[in-house]
Amino acid sequence: MHISEGVLSAPVLAGGAAFAVAATAVGLKKLTSDRIPQAGVLSAAFFVASLVHVPIGPSSMHLILNGIVGLLLGWAAFPVIAVALVLQAVLFQFGGITSLGVNTLIMAAPAVLCYYLFTPFIRKGHATAMAGAFACGALAVLFSALIAAAALVFTGEAFMEVSMALVGAHVVVMIIEGIITMFCVAFLRKVDPSLLPGFIVRRRGKQAGHAGVNQK
Amino acid sequence: MDADYLVIDIENIALSYPDGRSVLSEVSFQLPEGARAGLIGPNGSGKTTLFHLIMGLVPPTRGSIRLFGRQMQTEKDFRRARKKIGLVFQNADDQLFSPTVIEDVAFGPLNLGASPAQAREIAQETLEQLNLSGFEDRIAYRLSGGEKKLVALATVLAMDPEVLLMDEPTTGLDEATRERIIDVLNGLDKTLLITSHEYDFLARTTKDIYKMKNGRLSPAGDAALLHPHYRAHAAGDVPHKHG
Amino acid sequence: MISETFAFGDSPIHRMDPRLRVAMAIFFSIVTAVSNRFPAVCLALFMACGLLGLARLPLRPVLNRLFLVNGLVFFIWLVMPWTYQGTPLFTLGPLVIAEEGVRLCALITIKSNAIILALIALTATMPVATLGHALHHLRVPGKLVHLLLMTYRYIFVIETEYQQLMRAARIRCFKPGTNLHTYKTFAYLVGMLFVRAAARGERVHQAMICRGFNGKFICLHDFSFRQTDRAWAAAMGIGLIGLGVLEWTPII
Repeated sequence: MHISEGVLSAPVLAGGAAFAVAATAVGLKKLTSDRIPQAGVLSAAFFVASLVHVPIGPSSMHLILNGIVGLLLGWAAFPVIAVALVLQAVLFQFGGITSLGVNTLIMAAPAVLCYYLFTPFIRKGHATAMAGAFACGALAVLFSALIAAAALVFTGEAFMEVSMALVGAHVVVMIIEGIITMFCVAFLRKVDPSLLPGFIVRRRGKQAGHAGVNQK
Repeated sequence: MDADYLVIDIENIALSYPDGRSVLSEVSFQLPEGARAGLIGPNGSGKTTLFHLIMGLVPPTRGSIRLFGRQMQTEKDFRRARKKIGLVFQNADDQLFSPTVIEDVAFGPLNLGASPAQAREIAQETLEQLNLSGFEDRIAYRLSGGEKKLVALATVLAMDPEVLLMDEPTTGLDEATRERIIDVLNGLDKTLLITSHEYDFLARTTKDIYKMKNGRLSPAGDAALLHPHYRAHAAGDVPHKHG
Repeated sequence: MISETFAFGDSPIHRMDPRLRVAMAIFFSIVTAVSNRFPAVCLALFMACGLLGLARLPLRPVLNRLFLVNGLVFFIWLVMPWTYQGTPLFTLGPLVIAEEGVRLCALITIKSNAIILALIALTATMPVATLGHALHHLRVPGKLVHLLLMTYRYIFVIETEYQQLMRAARIRCFKPGTNLHTYKTFAYLVGMLFVRAAARGERVHQAMICRGFNGKFICLHDFSFRQTDRAWAAAMGIGLIGLGVLEWTPII
């Protein structure tokens, strides 16, 4: 859900950029320098995953996965997503420079929000975790759509219907993302639970590799 | 099995990369039903690419492929053929992507149209046949190299293909797992095509040998005549006959 | 396949100092994005086309790119002209197309594509590694640049892994469709990418500390500003002033 260049007004672009810079600074602080290689490889995985498209009826949709990214990275989602967006802008011209701040906000803010909302669920029993994962994936997309809609509406009243249509168009996407996030979390719980939640920002204490120690 | 029926018939296949590098040149190869063939060749000779070509994962630059008597031209043709040919990759990690072993083994049957319950049953039976009972709920990603290889084999056997292609099945395996694979292969009533570096292994599991070098394929005789002697003379590391 | 289609070529743009190109891209994008009058944005489009011409890029891939990224703009065209309350341009039964709505859509379309074309000409014409170094020289924090370069470094590796897994699924007759089995399979593939990425990240980190990495990003690259670069910088400056004049003064 990128907003292209040239759509939003100057105040919205500036505001979005300011928020994104602040949040990215927070995320960078939690990402210690020696964790950058791991974050980079994970960011690459997120980048490649967002190019995957799954069938939906007669057409297909690209995966967004910001719910899962939030669970895996916590606040580090901001710098990681910002970097992925820069690469998308340079390699595919998807998004751009002026809209980088707003687009980062659109993708990463829901990621961090869902991290806080759903971390407790992910750690519980199977059914609760699955419900939480579904909600995480679906709501991350909903919040993204809402922030994008807000950016458009703050740009001008004329965008009201466009933004409502945008949110409406994403209802189906929400459900599919919820389903995929659910199965993905199920996979991670079985195969490598230490990745969930906040793996990257985990403080390296005396017991390296100790699961569940979380620095938020 | 009908030895006149060619399950794989490729003619004058050439494959080059977009940058001009040639991987396969003028490869012609016939695999009759029931044959047990081995393919020997150094790394980079194009063996894996040949397998990918047979499975329709990569199109040839020139030449034709017939599988089960049918000309393979579209993805649809290959999709039909993949129900009857199985390929076990060289690297088991490239093949396994489900969390548990049973899910990975059931994946093939599910795609072939079995119901979840049926697929589970088929998967369980296949695991039993490979002496992997008890592995159902193990995490595939965390298994040892040998166990992963056996599970990868199971994922393909669960589809009960008529033809089995195996790419370097014994690389990096310990003795015990190697023996298990040899037992399984010798117990299979299928058409086999196996690539390997290990002459002993091919001598025990296959009948006819082909060799591949620089993208060209040629027959090399009976598997029973295979023997390496690396220091005795210059041709020691490729199959050859004496006298 | 992810590839840097435009990054390698021989043209005045490709020879321009990368730092200058990045700075130009930033200023141009900002000035164009805040312009709201047709004379200004048309000049911007003209300038962008000029830059593109200078970069001597093949036309087809560029047009293809434009088509792909105008998704949101198409969407806006689909909704806004009908829903804008304004002077009717023409009516189709109960539906009314507003003149102001069409104007706004046209403005956005020109602005957006001007910026995209300039981005292609200026930033897509260098390898990402060079971009990273240019950003570092433009005072972007070392940690962020390091993250960018690491991410870029591993995109291709992970893409290969994804394709191998997809291949494994295809040879076991996986056919994507709108069903739970498909979504589960894709979810597992993606999950596998994350698990492997985390494991690989650990190994990369271990390799780095074995070679003395202590967290500091050190840039090996050095840039030098040449005469031609000064000339280009001046030209761009004039262009931007022109944009400003058209936007903020009542000249046209």
